[in-house]
Order: sequence, then structure tokens, then C-alpha cells
Amino acid sequence: MLNSAVHAVHVHKQLVLLFIMDKDSAESGLTWQVRANQRCYHKRQQKKSFLGLRWGRCSDNQVRSYKYSVLTFLPMTLFEQFQRAANLYFLFMMALQCVPIISSIQWYISIIPLLLILSVRGVKDLINDMGRRRSDAEVNSRPCDVLISQSFTTLHWKDLCVGDIVRIHKDQTIPADVVLLCSSEPHSLSYVETADIDGETNLKSRQALAVTHDRLTSEPSECLLANFDGVVFCEEPNDGMHAFRGQLHWRGERFLLDIEHLLLRGTVLRNTLMAYGLVIYTGADTKILRNCGKIRAKRTRLEKTLNRVVIGIMVFLLMAVLLLAIGCGVFTSRVMIHKGFLSALVINGDPVYTGFLVYWSYFMLLSPAVPIMLYVTFEMIQTFHSKFINWDLEIYWCQGDCPAQARNTSLCEELGQVEYLLSDKTGTLTQNRLLFRQCCIAGEIYGDSSARAEDIEPMDLTWNPLSRGGLYMWAPTLVERLRAQKCPTVRRFFTALTVCHTVMAQWKDDAPVYQAASPDEEALVSAARELGWVFLSRTRDDMVISEMGVTRHYKLLALVDFTSHRRRMSVLVREPEGALKLYCKGADIVILERLQRDCAHLESTEQALELFSKASLRTLCIAVRSVSETSWEQWSRTLAQAAAMPTFDRNALLEKLHNEMERNLQLLGVTAIEDRLQEGVPETISLLKQAGIKVWVLTGDKKETAVNIGYACKLLDPDTRLLEWQELRQILQSPDPGGHFHKIQQTELWAVEKDKPGVQTAVVLTGPELTDFDQRPEWGAKFMSLARQCQTVLCCRVTPGQKADIVNLVRKHTSSITLSIGDGANDVNMIKTAHIGVGLTGVEGGQAVQSADFSLSRFRFLQKLLLVHGRWSYRRISLFLRYFLFKTCSFALVHLWFGIFNGYSAQSLYETWFIAFYTTFYTSVQIFFVAIFEKDVSAESSLRWPELYKCGQRQELSGPLVLFTSLLYALYASLVLFFIPCGVYYDTAVDYQTMAVTVSMAAVFTANIEIVLLTRHWTKFSIGAVCVSVLLYFICSRITHSKFLFQSSPADYLFYGASDEAFTDPVVWLTALLTAWTAVLPSMTFLTLDVIRTVHAKHKVHSMSHQPVELRTQ
Amino acid sequence: MVKEENESPNRPDNTAFTQQRLPAWQPMLSAGIVIPGFVLIGLAFIGIGVALLITSRNIQVLELDYTGTEQNSPCFQCSDPDKQNCVCTLQFSINRLFEGPVFFYYGLSNYFQNYRRYGVSRDDGQLYGDLSYFKEPYDQCEPYRYDRNKRPIVPCGSVVNSLFNDTFRLFQIVNGQQKEVPLDGKGIAWWTDYNIKFRNPTVTPLRNAFNGTVKPLFWPRPAYELDTSDPANNGFINQDFLVWMRRAALPDFRKLYRRITEGDYTNGLPAGNYSLEIAYNYPVLSFNGRKMVVFSNVSWMGGKNEFLGIAYLVIGTLCVVMSVVMLIVYAKFKFPEEE
Repeated sequence: MLNSAVHAVHVHKQLVLLFIMDKDSAESGLTWQVRANQRCYHKRQQKKSFLGLRWGRCSDNQVRSYKYSVLTFLPMTLFEQFQRAANLYFLFMMALQCVPIISSIQWYISIIPLLLILSVRGVKDLINDMGRRRSDAEVNSRPCDVLISQSFTTLHWKDLCVGDIVRIHKDQTIPADVVLLCSSEPHSLSYVETADIDGETNLKSRQALAVTHDRLTSEPSECLLANFDGVVFCEEPNDGMHAFRGQLHWRGERFLLDIEHLLLRGTVLRNTLMAYGLVIYTGADTKILRNCGKIRAKRTRLEKTLNRVVIGIMVFLLMAVLLLAIGCGVFTSRVMIHKGFLSALVINGDPVYTGFLVYWSYFMLLSPAVPIMLYVTFEMIQTFHSKFINWDLEIYWCQGDCPAQARNTSLCEELGQVEYLLSDKTGTLTQNRLLFRQCCIAGEIYGDSSARAEDIEPMDLTWNPLSRGGLYMWAPTLVERLRAQKCPTVRRFFTALTVCHTVMAQWKDDAPVYQAASPDEEALVSAARELGWVFLSRTRDDMVISEMGVTRHYKLLALVDFTSHRRRMSVLVREPEGALKLYCKGADIVILERLQRDCAHLESTEQALELFSKASLRTLCIAVRSVSETSWEQWSRTLAQAAAMPTFDRNALLEKLHNEMERNLQLLGVTAIEDRLQEGVPETISLLKQAGIKVWVLTGDKKETAVNIGYACKLLDPDTRLLEWQELRQILQSPDPGGHFHKIQQTELWAVEKDKPGVQTAVVLTGPELTDFDQRPEWGAKFMSLARQCQTVLCCRVTPGQKADIVNLVRKHTSSITLSIGDGANDVNMIKTAHIGVGLTGVEGGQAVQSADFSLSRFRFLQKLLLVHGRWSYRRISLFLRYFLFKTCSFALVHLWFGIFNGYSAQSLYETWFIAFYTTFYTSVQIFFVAIFEKDVSAESSLRWPELYKCGQRQELSGPLVLFTSLLYALYASLVLFFIPCGVYYDTAVDYQTMAVTVSMAAVFTANIEIVLLTRHWTKFSIGAVCVSVLLYFICSRITHSKFLFQSSPADYLFYGASDEAFTDPVVWLTALLTAWTAVLPSMTFLTLDVIRTVHAKHKVHSMSHQPVELRTQ
Repeated sequence: MVKEENESPNRPDNTAFTQQRLPAWQPMLSAGIVIPGFVLIGLAFIGIGVALLITSRNIQVLELDYTGTEQNSPCFQCSDPDKQNCVCTLQFSINRLFEGPVFFYYGLSNYFQNYRRYGVSRDDGQLYGDLSYFKEPYDQCEPYRYDRNKRPIVPCGSVVNSLFNDTFRLFQIVNGQQKEVPLDGKGIAWWTDYNIKFRNPTVTPLRNAFNGTVKPLFWPRPAYELDTSDPANNGFINQDFLVWMRRAALPDFRKLYRRITEGDYTNGLPAGNYSLEIAYNYPVLSFNGRKMVVFSNVSWMGGKNEFLGIAYLVIGTLCVVMSVVMLIVYAKFKFPEEE
């Protein structure tokens, strides 16, 4: 009794306390409250929905990326599809056709194509959705251990709830955003791999609060964890991946939580046996799901032009229909009213009303000119084109078992129009497989980088049991010196390499495997391992190293990590002998200015640096400093002091302290690491340059490296003049940048080749200089006009944001298509910004690929992707679009002319069935095959003559003018299609149905001859499709004109007998042939002229003679 | 091989289709092919054009307008719409033998039989002999669906209502005597129309089927009395009715009326004077229409048709001319290379 009363008071107190804390935290923005081990409380707060109403605060941990359920599929897919203007337009048409007074064609005529479109799309969406459902189910049913009433139970991810305590095993994926409470490792350290989130493959350490570590780790942890009743107050769910603010309120105390304590959903626990955590955000509230916003739908230039053309057609039709309706009104009032046999047909006796109704009738009759089938066929073709990319063996990378992938299926034809290629350097042009090639210790250079890494004879390292191979360096003298253990500088140099890093070691097959934040570090530590200095393992304050077989422990006192701002890292260790040493490695400029006075070997080292840099090697300077005990005492006091300070002050203090520590360094040497070019990069770049593509390199590296890589990959010629910021600034500031630029070029001594102005110049920019563009927006246009005359532009030291800015700059000031290619998380911005983003599946994880439109494995595959797939795709789709516009318009516009001869009465010139079948059966398959199989030249020839690519950049096949010409041609064809039969049949005994059959026959012939003229590459499918389509016309005509169908429904098959008469009449055949031939005459003439004009050049491309033939145009 | 596949599960299939290496024929067009091709096609067209033109020129045609708008026309007094049962006679002479078989057409101009609402105003169910449509005609027949007393019109609709009802008799004047030229009205309609598309209801006598219906307003007699001379040529399978129901394509058209194939006229109409007796019933003046009769013989290509031949000639010549232009262009492109 008493007990319970006390308990009640206690609970009350706690509630009051919670309330106060709640208020407190709310003021600081920490409004998200998580009570540990209170499943019921949080379950009540979960979001629920019923009949579209939603309530509740936090989401459950279920992923629902699917859209449809059995019940909602039909309404939702219809709703989605009718949001497209074209579909809605046709639905409207269909509704109109059901009004008998205006229906010029039967309702079922437009329902056939519409149903076809709706079902094709619906099925496609359904299949996609099922795929999503499957992957959702897979994710939702992953297991995780949750603490329920004193013991861990394995639940599915989807059953996880805020406030749960979870246990995560090694190599498990974290199921939700979790605050780390404790782990099996010392100090409750845990390591996570964030590859799925930011693409970085190195491990990151997370550490629990000291208080939870201390009080929760003793055995048995279940019991302690079950009694854990802390409350976390934190921010509302947000998308900040690198920030988290919160407080843990436990036992009356408050502890600050930040991102270091948070394990994010999607990351993987590594190197840690077990970790325990408190679930903070679940499901849609987690940071990763908050981050995966919708990918901006990219639409191609061609598609936009097409949309404009379709709208143009609609406007044209509306106007034409208006004219026809006016014509009808006039005809009605002038002629019909007085006409004996027609006067009764004037509706309500009102010409205006008759005209109004005829307006809608014509609206319907001419609607086939709006190419409804175009969109769905277009999508199917694009899907095939992307499949061809996925299927291509030549861009499949055998070593990585990695095929190319078109992730966005709607951009293929844009690949054939690229004018600007913006490339990342590291991992894109280079392999990002770093090799330790040379070093300079105490002024002496070891190794030789002039030979290719593979050609180097491997050194005999059998004396080293821990060697795993992979050292491409020939330096027997160095090995000798190491084994003799005589030279202290060499020893110090390698000790520095083994100690000064943040690499983690994992043991596999009796040798350490390293996991590093940067590939440079891994290369350095691995190289040291090969040469006998093996880093074995580390804890928070201890490093174990085997030096030539002798295991030594270094006590780690302080570690100051590498940042892009500091550009160096240092460790302070206590050697086994007791001495204190500060090892430092960093960029040459930073280290050289921190050396002690009169440092030995400075001059020779600087020479070595220059030498390495010329060989395009990445360099790092290594230095050491002996530290006295008194300094260390002083520093550790400052460190302790800093730990208690607020963040801002602390950072300032620490920076000062670090500067003090990293002083008076003694130079040990320089490492030179080769970041090798990927195979085929120079060839690819020169090929792309010949294809008229401007290749720009955007990199975070320093200028020298970038320029060197530029030379190495043939981006820059040896005599290229580099235009740097100072000059560029002058040019941009001058009122006439172009003229100034030319003047500069001409006055320069080395711009000898005056006949090629501009080609020999390249712009080199750095990130900080780029910020000036923000202040001077007018420079953008000037810069682009300059850059257009330059060979290339190199941008160094740029941030991911700036990479995207450069892409935007190009997009804004040119109408060209841009393509960004990159492999790392830092390229994601630029990949998303460019018209086309290509991600390389590389060393740096998969994030670039995740946001890219296409993924490749090697840079050189770009050749085939652009010059072959892109070019073909562009050509095919252009042909397809032009043909489609031609065939629909030429066929439908006939009614305009027929209207003049039938009193503007919206009389159709075709049998209604023919209208339905024309677009679906008689003219669709063959163009589909053309759009899939057509090739003007083979893949080999496309690569041999990259100049052929320029046709896409100039939009020669798809520009608005070209499409407009196609429409004019269609107009001409429609005139021919009507007026020749009209002339033949005027004032004769030929009836309407015979004329209808003649015109439809001529239309089918025209459409098919046009296809024959388009096709240059006849596969058996294309031949078959043309034959079958023409045959199908005769068969279908015979069927719809058959006795059987007529007898079953006389009103729907009015043309019974028409084809019997028409197909046996020579005049019908002669007329149809003449009409078709006349209709395609312009196309034929154009083709012939084209053949005559280019016959020599093309012959060379086709015949593929063994001698390469110059095709260059001046 | 199997092992390799196991090792690289993502490897794309190596088929001709996936690798876009389907065997294909790539015709190598060259000027040596296309220019002669153009010439050949042009010549072929000219050939066809000449053949058509010669055939067409050999066809004899005699057109006689009998609208009667001109004062001196024998049918002038008949063109008055108020005049009932007017008969006028047209005199004409033939200089040389009009070779048979001679086809006798009537022609109408400015007559929009292809007007949509006119065309759909018919009931194909009715015309197929389906009695259920006799009670309730198809609603497209409006305004010729029911008469004022709400009785169904059979056959209903505009096309039916406006049936051409001028009749003709042709006489050769031999020694001042009128000798009637027999006109053959059998088989002038399409076989399919006569045998399948149009059917009389299977009711005998035929007039019983029409009980409770009224004749089309414009018609003088009901459908079952269209041809008083031949009981088999009545109802919906009356030949003249069938010819009329097959709508014309364009506003100026002809329709076959009779054939002259019998008696002394099997070989055609001999030279001499003829008179055509016209029962002038059909009003065309209200819409500025013209009426005519046409005598013509036919060839393999049907009636006289100069347009087709000329069009073939024009297009053929165009092709030849263009090939000459192309030759010049070709020479121009080729010339610099030889330099």
C-alpha cells in the first residue's frame, strides 16, 4: 500500500519533471520526444490513415513506395493518364463522337487507339509497381532484434516503433535512425559504413555517450536496457544528413546528443560485434527517406520541340476547323437553304447553328492529325533504345561484371546531341586506384615513374610475411636500407606513414586489409606494409605496428584529422621508448611553411616535388617533430579546457593549438602517388573532340595536377596556351571580350598557327575565382562566348556546388546539350543539373550512379554511348518523329480539301474502320522497326568518323525547321492525296465508296513508300513489316468490306462490296499509284539529291576501306 | 562456358538482336542507280500516260444538257418548278457510228450527294429488308423518318427521298419515223448491291410489307411500284433506286441510266438523227444545278478520262526533267573532284 503510494508519488514527480523539461526543450526547438521502452505510448502516436484522413505524429517503419492496390489501380492509373493533355484530348473526342448529331466518325474509331495506349501504359505502370512492391516487401521483412519485456525478439523492420531499443549485429543494416546507447566495443565505439548514403566506402566511427556506456554495458545488458527510461528530446524529423540536435534526459540530468551519436538508417554496422540503440525516427521520418526527394523529371530537347509541334498542329487544326465551320455556315445560308434536296437538313433552319455543329464534327474528323499514338510509341522506342545500351557487350565491363545501364529511359536520343561534356577527374578520367610509385626521403629519390606500373618488375618481398603484393615500385636500395635498419630518416619516414592516418585494419587470411577514408591513405599504408612497416590494429588510444617483424605499440595521444581547409593531418604519439613525436603529413605548401629553420634536404626535396608533379603524381610531404613532455602537458591542459567549451570558442582555440603543435617540423620526405588514367581516356577524349564535343574538366584537385592530367589525356596539346584568371579577368572586364581575346592571342609569341585561332587556348580556373561569377552575372555570357573558342576549360579546386554552377552557366548561356560524368558523391550535384548525367560505377561507391541517368563502368565507354548509341538513337527518333507527323497529318488533312467539295459537311473521305486501322495496323509496325533497327552507318564507322556526330549537335534531323518542313510536306501530300483522285473522278460515274478506297489505298502506299525511302538498313523485320502492313491493308479491307460482317451489322460495315469493285478496277489502281508516287516525289527527289551530293563521302564510310579516309569538312 | 556465365551473371546476352548486329541489307544508292531509276520511272509514266490518253481519245462521248435554263432550250418550259408531268424532247444527230455497247448516263452537277448528313440519312436495316425497321426507322433518317401523322416512312431518309425521277426514251428518226431504241436497264447496279446489300422483305405480295408505312414524301409512287413494267424490279432492288443509293463522290457526277445493247443497236448507234424524250420531273434550278444525259462507250479503263492520262504524262515528264537537273547537279559535284 505504502509502496504503491510512494511509487505513485514518484511517477507523478517524474511526469512533472518531464513536463518541465518538455517546455524547456520546446523553446530550443527540440520538440520531438522519444521515451525509451514505451512502445504503447509511441504506438498510439503512429500515423494512421482511413479513407484519406490521416492523423498521428510519427510514421511507422514501413516503406511504401508502391502506388496502387487492387482497388485503386484502375481509378488511379486512369486519373494519372488523363492528366496528359493528349489522352484527355482524345477522351474528349470520344465523348463528342457519342453525340449523334455531330459524330462524323463512329465512337469506336478513337477508342481503339485510346484503349491501346491506356492499356500499354497501365500494364507498364503495373509492372513497375509490382517491382516496387516486391522490393518494399523485401526491405520491410528484414529482421532486427527489438527489446520487448526484458529480452530481445526478432521482429521485422516494419514492426519497429519509435522508442524501441534495438540490437544491431555486425554487418547488419541499421533499420531506422537510432541513437547509439552502447556497443560491444571499448568506449562503445561503433563503426558504420555509409556507402549507401553518401557513397563513401570508408568506415566512420560513432560513439555512445559516456554516461550510457558506463551504466548500460555491464552484463546482463538486456536487464539494464529494459530499465532504461531516458527521454530524448530532439528536432522534428528533417533532411539534414550531417546535423542532429538533441538532449537525453535521464535520471534528472541532461546530455547533449549530436550526429556523432546517431546511426542512420541504411548505413551498415562494421567492425563492431553488437550495438544497442534507441530508435528515434522511423520510416518516412528517417533522414535517408527524407532525403530521397523526387528526381526531377528530365525532358529532352526533342521532346520539347515535339510538344510545341503538337500544340502547333492543334492550333492549326482549330483554325482550319474554324474556317471549315465558317465555310459550312456560308454554304448553308447561300446554297442549302434554297436547295431542294438539302434544305431539310439545315439543323433547326439555322446556318449558324449548323456551322457550330459542323465545327465539332470537323474537330473530330481531323483529330487523327494529332498524333496520339506518337507518345506511347515514342516511349516504347525509347525503352528499346535504353535496352540496347544495357545489352551492349562492348560497353560491358568484364572485370567488374558490370554492364552499362540506362537508368532514365527517356534521354537516349539526347545522347546524340551532346556538345558539352563536363567531366570529373578523379575516378572518372583516372582510375582512382592509387599506386605508390615514388618517394623522396632525405632528398634522395627512390623509384622510377617513367615506366608504366605494370611493366615494373616486382621487387622480391618474400622476406616480408605480411606482404600481399600490389606495390609498383622498383627501389632495391630503399629495401636494402630498410632491412639494414641503419638510416634513421628512412625509418622515421615509414613510421610516419604507418602511424599518421585514420585507416582501419581488418584481418583477412592472416594479413591486414585496410579500410581508409581516402584512397591516398590506403595506398600509403599499404605501401608501408609491403616494405615491412605494417600497421596491425588500432584502438582509441593505441596503435600496434610491426616494424620489420618487431611489434611495437604506439600510444596515441592526439589526432588532428585532415580537412580540406587544413590540408594536413597530424598525430601525436608516445613511442614505446617513451619519447613524444608529432608526425605530420600534408600538402607541400602547408608543410613547407611549417618547417623548422635550416631544414636539411629542403632544396633537393623541392626539386623532387617538381619532378613528381610533372609526372602527374600526387604528392604529400611527410614531417616529424619531437615534442617535449612540458609542451605536451601544456597542450593536454588546453585540450581538456577546450572540451568543456562551447563549439565556436572551442574551434578557435583548437585551431590555435593545432597551429602551435604543427610547427618547427623536420622534413622527412615526399610521397608520390600515381592516380593512373583509365585505359583509353586520351583516345576517347580526342575522339570526342573530333566529334565536336567540348570536354571540360571539373575537379577538386589542385591546379597543377589538373593541368598535368589535362596534358596526359590529350585534352591539352603541348603547345596549348593556358589562359589563367588574371588574363581572363582582363578579357572579361574589357567591353569587347571577343576582340580583346583575339588581340591577346595574336600578340602572343606562341600562338603561331594563325589559321587556327582559339583552338590553341585553354582556360584554367579555380574554385575561389569562380565565386566572382556570382557577383558579376554579366560575365557568364562573355565567358561562355570565350570558352566556345577555347580548346577546353579546366576548373580546379571546385566544390560540388560549384560544379553544378558551371553546368548551369553552360546551360544558361548556350542552347547546347550538356553531359556530366562523374563517379563520386561530390559529382551528384552536377550530374543532376546537366541535361544528361552519367555516373561511373567506380571505387567511390554508388551515389553518383544512383542519381545518374546512365551508368557506365569506364570512361572510354562514353565513345560508344555517345557516338554510336546516341547518334543512332537520335537519328532513329528523329526519323520516327518526322515520319509520324507526316503520316498522320497527310492522312487526316485530306478532309480539309474534301470539305470544299462536300459542302463543308464533315463527310469523311475514309471508311471509319480505315481511320482506326491506318494508325494502328497499316503504318505503325514498320516505323517502329525503323526506329529500332535503323542505322545509316555501322557502329565501327560511327567511331571511325566521329564527325558524323555533329549532325545531332546541329539538330539537322530534328530542328523546329525540319519538323515544320515535314508538316509542310504532309500538307502537300494531303493535297495530292485528295486532288489527283478528285481530278480523275470528277464528273464521272464513280461513287463515293470507290473514291474512298482509292484515296485510302493511295494513303497506305504513300506511307509505305515513304518508309521505304527512309530505311537504309533493311533487316528481315523491316522488310516483313512493310510487306505485311500493305498486305494487311488489303486483307483488312476485304474483311471489313465482307458480306459476313455486313450481314451481322449493316449500319457499321457500309462499305460492303466497295473493295470488290475497286480492287478489280484498273483506274483505281492507276490512280492510287499515280497519287502515291506524286505524294512521295519531293521525298524521292530529296533522297536522290542527297545521294548525289554525298555519294562519295558515304561510299567511303560504308565500304570501310582499310586505309582511313579523311572526311573532315573545312 | 557455363562457368563463365556463373562468374558474370550480369553479362548481357551475345545475340545478334541485343548487339544490334542483325543481318541486314544496306542498299548502296549511287547516282548511277538513282538517276537512271528516275528516268525509267518517268518514261514508264509517260508510257502509261500515252496509253491512257489514246484509249481515252478513242472513247466516243455525247453530252446533252437538258436543264432548260436557256430560252432556246427545248426543256425551257419544263424547268418551271410548278409545271407537273412536263415532257420535252431533245433532237440530236450522230455523224458516224457510235460504237456499242453504248452506255446511257444521266449527269447532275452542283449536286452534293456527298453531303454528310444527306449521306447518313438512310436506314440500312430497312433497306436490308428487316421488317423491324419498318415500324421504327433509324433516327438518322430525320427529317424523313415519320410523316406529319407519325407514320413511318419506308424507305426513309434524305437519299431515298431525293431519288432521281426523270425518265428518258430514245428514238432514232428513220425516214421521219420515230423508231424506239431499246434501253436495257438490267444489271446497271452493282452485283453486291442488287444481291446482298439491298433486300426486299420476304413478304408476298411485296405491298403487304409496307402496310402501315407511307411512301417517301417526294416520291410519286410507293417503293413497291417503282417499275410498273417489271414486277421483279421493284422495292429496294429496283435498279435505278440502287444506282441512286450509291452516293456520288463529288458534286458533279453521272449515274448509269441504261445500256444500249439490244435489237438493231447491238453494234452501237448508227449515224443519223435521234430524239430524246424526257419526262422532266427533277428540280435542279433551285440550287443552280445542271442536268444532262451522256452517251458513251467504254474501254478497259471505263469511261472517257483525259485527266488521268494527262496527269501521268505531266508527272512522267516531271521525273525526266528532274533527272536531267539531277544529272547537272551530279556533274557539278563530281567536277571539282576530277580537278
